[in-house]
Amino acid sequence: MQRRRTVAFLAGAGALAVLSLALPPLFGQPRPNGAPQFAAGYRAPRIADGHPDLNGIWQAMVTANWDLQDHEAKAGPHNELVGAYGAQPAGQGIVEGGEIPYKPDALAKKNTRFENRLKVDVSSDKTWHDLGDPEMKCYMPGVPRATYMPFPFQIVQGTSPYILMAYEFTSATRIIRMDWKQQAPTDSWMGWSRGRWDGDTLVVDVTGQREETWFDRAGDYHSDALHVVERYTPVSPYHMVYEATIEDPNVFTRPWKISFPLYRRMEKNVQLLEFKCVPFTEELLFGKFIKQAAR
Amino acid sequence: MRNRIFALIAALVVVVGVGLVVPAAGQAPKTYNPPKTPWGDPDLQGVWNDATSTPLQRPGNVGVGVLNDEEAEEFQKSLAHDLTRDRRDGGNAADVNRAYNEHWMDARRLKITADKRTSLIVDPPDGRIPPLVQASPERQKVQAARAAGAARFAAGLPDHYTDMSWPVRCVVRTDVPPYLPTIYNNDFQIFQSPGYVTIAPEMIHSARIIPVDGRPHLNKGLKQWLGDTRGHWEGSTLVVETTNFRADEGVLFQGANSATFTITERFTRVAPDAINYEFTVADPSTWTKPWTALIPWNKVDPAEQMFEYACHEDNFDIVHFLTGARLREKNGETVGQQRPARAGEER
Amino acid sequence: MRTFRSLVAALSFLIVATPALPHHAFNAEFDANKPVKFKGVVTKMLWVNPHAWIYVDVKKPDGTVEEWMIETGTPNTLLRRGLTKESLPKGTEIVVDGYQSKDGSHRANGRDLTLPNGQTVFLGSSGTGAPYEKK
Repeated sequence: MQRRRTVAFLAGAGALAVLSLALPPLFGQPRPNGAPQFAAGYRAPRIADGHPDLNGIWQAMVTANWDLQDHEAKAGPHNELVGAYGAQPAGQGIVEGGEIPYKPDALAKKNTRFENRLKVDVSSDKTWHDLGDPEMKCYMPGVPRATYMPFPFQIVQGTSPYILMAYEFTSATRIIRMDWKQQAPTDSWMGWSRGRWDGDTLVVDVTGQREETWFDRAGDYHSDALHVVERYTPVSPYHMVYEATIEDPNVFTRPWKISFPLYRRMEKNVQLLEFKCVPFTEELLFGKFIKQAAR
Repeated sequence: MRNRIFALIAALVVVVGVGLVVPAAGQAPKTYNPPKTPWGDPDLQGVWNDATSTPLQRPGNVGVGVLNDEEAEEFQKSLAHDLTRDRRDGGNAADVNRAYNEHWMDARRLKITADKRTSLIVDPPDGRIPPLVQASPERQKVQAARAAGAARFAAGLPDHYTDMSWPVRCVVRTDVPPYLPTIYNNDFQIFQSPGYVTIAPEMIHSARIIPVDGRPHLNKGLKQWLGDTRGHWEGSTLVVETTNFRADEGVLFQGANSATFTITERFTRVAPDAINYEFTVADPSTWTKPWTALIPWNKVDPAEQMFEYACHEDNFDIVHFLTGARLREKNGETVGQQRPARAGEER
Repeated sequence: MRTFRSLVAALSFLIVATPALPHHAFNAEFDANKPVKFKGVVTKMLWVNPHAWIYVDVKKPDGTVEEWMIETGTPNTLLRRGLTKESLPKGTEIVVDGYQSKDGSHRANGRDLTLPNGQTVFLGSSGTGAPYEKK
């Protein structure tokens, strides 16, 4: 009796083993530390020049745009008017190691930004950018924030030295120039992006970003010395892993890293739509300068 | 007698005009076969510039569609003289409106198109936008309100940010089709990937990602500032149709009505360094008939590249215009009566 | 029978019908009756769109310093010519020829910008292709 059960058990285990071999490779073994549970060795389809084809519409699911670090749910602005609309969801942070390594005086500046995140004052050119989350003002979000905004973006990749990334948020775009020598001639909101391939990973070196962009709504910020190195690695037909190493000796004690998966948008005939938010911000920014009688 | 002369000129213009319909008339070889992308689409990739001094409409007293070499040189010289910002003559009022000198402008906008046409419009054969249709009373009201706002702005006395145009407000600029040459940043980058052709105009930093795989347009209810675009290939020509424009007044060319406006654009690479960009627009609410223009695009990479054109982010002038208006109103200025500054006055 | 030459001459009185960028009316913002021409020292240049801005310190005869903000065109034209944000260093003396803002503030459009020796600022180089090469 026991022998039959043992045999049955062994047979069952054997069947299971056979079955797990038959499963497609993307259902890999779970790994510790909550790391993405993808099987190693996925090989993305190639585009004509032999590089992995990253074309498609992608979107992050993390809530990092609210806060890169761990965050609880919180009431949003003016909840006395709009209740649960605009409230902050809870989220697990995407910063490796948990905390952003601010220099002591820099952390105070982050907190000041956070306190002033909903204020604007554009009455003087020289202090135009001092207050308010640039996202609220519909300014281009820079890199890496553009990657984890709650909007899709599209990778347009051919076989030329240029890859275009187009973001639905304020129709921002950036051109990634492959194996490019020239350095940023000036600063820009979406930065100066130079790319190269590292095996199946697209590596993008981003410099020359405007110091006025923030990493999130929590006031996390940087100086004009910001240097970001991104890595886009396809791990399944439907996922990429995004990693970014952030370096800014003016603000942080050392480089630090974020990572999260990007998901392919799968809806039939899905396309980027417009989120041209400038008209949504004009009353906020310019309302106090209009002719009062015209109201 | 007058009618006969007119008919003769018209016939001449038609004869000349017919010769213009062939892209790159007389310039490129009859049929240039562009290279193909690895997935078989004609290759339009690169950075392209469309600046030219050739006017959209044929000047009123020019009766020919194409010039000979000598005439072309004079035409170009005359246009360059009109357009150059390096001129300081004409009095201060004319001078201040030139804004800056030529170092800030696209120098290619002082050159006529290589095919020596006298207008970018190729149809109607007279090279001019067809007569306007009288707008409905409803539209006239909307247009009048918009014109009043524009007049306030032109006088330096805008009431409200909505008195300013969409380009000044940095909502859209040259990225609304049809693409027309302007004073600077006349650059477009074309990217191609399997199933798409993407056109990125420099102003304002948007990307027009055009599916060429035959999928349908968005449903009619989803409107966009730049519309919704689909393309398909006819031989070597990319034919692009755009629908679903928003109804905001003043976005489309000459205030065309988005409900009845149609546009077809055609991109054909006619030489290694040239694309012919041709568009046909129609709007029975605005023009008595459709019209077509042909604008050459010249390849400028790798020596020239696109650069980010952020606009709203540092648009300080919106505040300058509004606060300046409030100050001048306080000093008694009105749109009809603008007071010049008095000597020694502190404001 | 009019020659083409005389037709062309007549062009200068015609409105060239190419739609220009709907730019703001400069004579509405800057005062044609208040032309300015002064020397100043560049303190910074903002390479931004839609207008780049040059901040200059102008020393007045009584020794005080006035800060002026000079509005210029799109920097993208300059970038395409190979210029960079280092191309107008702080401390450069320039001559500003323009028109003062109608609201009387120390703002002017940079109608013409020259170095004291008369050389035009931002003459720049034409694109050489070298900085844009791939590795």
